[in-house]
Amino acid sequence: MAELLEVNGISVTFDGFKAINNLAFSIGYAELRAIIGPNGAGKTTFMDIVTGKTRPDEGSVLWGEKSISLLSKSESQIANLGIGRKFQKPTVFEDQSVRDNLMMALKAKRTPWAVLFHRGSDDETVRIEELATEIGLKDALDRRAGDLSHGQKQWLEIGMLLAQDPQLLLVDEPAAGMTVDERNKTTEILKRAAKTRAVVVVEHDMEFIRNLDCKVTCLHEGSVLAEGSLDFVTSNKDVIDVYLGR
Amino acid sequence: MNGLLTKFLLKNPSVLVFLGALALFTAFVSVGSEAFGWGFISTSFVKTLGKTLCFCLIAIAMDLVWGYCGILSLGHFAFFGLGGYMLGMWLMYARTEIIVQTAMSNEVIPPTDQEVIDAIGTQIFGVVGGSDFPMIWAFAHLFWVQLALVVLVPGILALVFGWLAFRSRVTGVYLSILTQAMTLALSLYLFQNDSGLRGNNGLSGLQNLPGLDDVSQDIVSMWFFWASAFALGLSYLLVKLITESKLGNIVRGIRDDEARVRFLGYNVEGYKLFVFVLTAIIAGIAGALYYPQAGIINPAEIAPIASIYLAVWVAIGGRGRIYGAVIGAAFVSLLSTWFTGGQAPDIPLGIYTIKWVDWWLVLLGLSFVIVTLYFPKGIGGLFDRLVRKGDA
Ligand SMILES: Nc1ncnc2c1ncn2[C@@H]1O[C@H](COP(=O)(O)OP(=O)(O)OP(=O)(O)O)[C@@H](O)[C@H]1O
Ligand SMILES: [Mg+2]
Repeated sequence: MAELLEVNGISVTFDGFKAINNLAFSIGYAELRAIIGPNGAGKTTFMDIVTGKTRPDEGSVLWGEKSISLLSKSESQIANLGIGRKFQKPTVFEDQSVRDNLMMALKAKRTPWAVLFHRGSDDETVRIEELATEIGLKDALDRRAGDLSHGQKQWLEIGMLLAQDPQLLLVDEPAAGMTVDERNKTTEILKRAAKTRAVVVVEHDMEFIRNLDCKVTCLHEGSVLAEGSLDFVTSNKDVIDVYLGR
Repeated sequence: MNGLLTKFLLKNPSVLVFLGALALFTAFVSVGSEAFGWGFISTSFVKTLGKTLCFCLIAIAMDLVWGYCGILSLGHFAFFGLGGYMLGMWLMYARTEIIVQTAMSNEVIPPTDQEVIDAIGTQIFGVVGGSDFPMIWAFAHLFWVQLALVVLVPGILALVFGWLAFRSRVTGVYLSILTQAMTLALSLYLFQNDSGLRGNNGLSGLQNLPGLDDVSQDIVSMWFFWASAFALGLSYLLVKLITESKLGNIVRGIRDDEARVRFLGYNVEGYKLFVFVLTAIIAGIAGALYYPQAGIINPAEIAPIASIYLAVWVAIGGRGRIYGAVIGAAFVSLLSTWFTGGQAPDIPLGIYTIKWVDWWLVLLGLSFVIVTLYFPKGIGGLFDRLVRKGDA
């Protein structure tokens, strides 16, 4: 398959309401893509479908060189195929240390047996410290994740995402609750990650999207409204209408 | 392996403290016992203490499955009971066999094997109007098989039940209700006379070890006390090894946000099943140690209320901290024995006298509510606070 992920003709209905409507989407092996769209456009639901949380009523979701269908796979199987996800509301394991959060995410065998006898190697320690440095939490490694600030939790979750070493990163609103400096740093991290893998970023903040400097897909009422450069998309008449609520 | 264990103990000094305390307590009871010491601890109290250790053991299992993994099982006493029944079957069969053989050895014509078996059957099942051995007694004469069944029966039941429940993603209150339903069904089944396990008569005489009639109960009680203490110590170590490993991190992650764990690529159902089955097995072993000290097992012991008490012990002791479960089980079950045994002095209030035999449950329920509302970390939480103050 020429693309890493190919989504075709998917639709989802919640209690009679069509959240996703005949949506098509694809992304290449090393590509950065931004998804924009008003509230309720179906951005998060789209990620739910790709990661196996929600099953579409129809359509296909194909993955990788062998075009594997993701629709019959469980969440954990999909994660192990190489799809990682950061949630809109930061979800880290609040009761555990930053180090343990990263350790759990780190790429390694995932069976109960292997995990029970897991002994942290020096390589792992080094990798965790590298990741912590990258997300600016080096000094917070032994702090409880629940005690971090909102922005730090966002970063920890991005760190966990990188620790999984996935081929596709789905990042839902990473910049929410971050200062300007933090946003810039997040932009850098995501751009760097996209050099070797596919990264999909959902954001409302146009400044942030502009800095990502990548192809943009605009969703509305569950389907693609426009796709192209940010300037192209934002000058599209339909997009302007949607955003200004006309 | 030895080096690893040493490293683990150094990293978790609390395990050493617990094992040390348990060893001291065991030594103290031995020295105080009628069999091996000065005799200031009566044999019946040794049995009470030994049974309490078994409660502590099942409480550890409950803390692992509930406090760490977030599965509020209201069925672990069913596994406890099943473990007791499995060993009880052998105890009862083997002892009855000896009695029957002794009685028949005086007859002029030596009895055939079939006659012996029939006589044993009549002895055991006479109370429920039968004499034939039901299928489930097929291995009752084989000690090692019944011993294996102590872990296999609870383990396999937990495996099948857990697989069905977890696979359909039943969680929270619904899962608790389901475990409760399983327990109720099992106890109702066992209450029937044709269940093959003597209905509501249960199995009795379990305190008498076959072929060891000469050994007095003073000594037997100490054997079981030691065995219970050993099982408790070993399980404590095992459970701590699990909770302090990466598996412990994952299991706590499942408790706090199981969907998130799934998206990290872990097969949550497999992990839950592992914990559920392991704790069912520990419960089974606890039951097999408990009932020979109690002497009798009957279906009432499996009734859902027992499993609810178990949850209360662990909540009062403090969830998610293993030693809390031990404290809760020991403290509440001993207190309960004291109150319900008629030893607690009644309180006359003029027009009304508070009889603890009746009011103990009210007190327990109240404590549970208070702990849940104001001390969610239980007695263990108070402990933690003291230790932290000591550090500062
Ligand atoms: N599980 C669900 N049950 C019912 N309706 C749902 C469910 N999930 C999403 N929806 C609805 O589907 C629509 C799309 O929601 P979605 O969360 O995908 O939007 P979004 O583009 O991520 O919006 P936002 O920018 O606010 O995060 C919304 O109208 C939402 O209410
Ligand atoms: Mg959303």
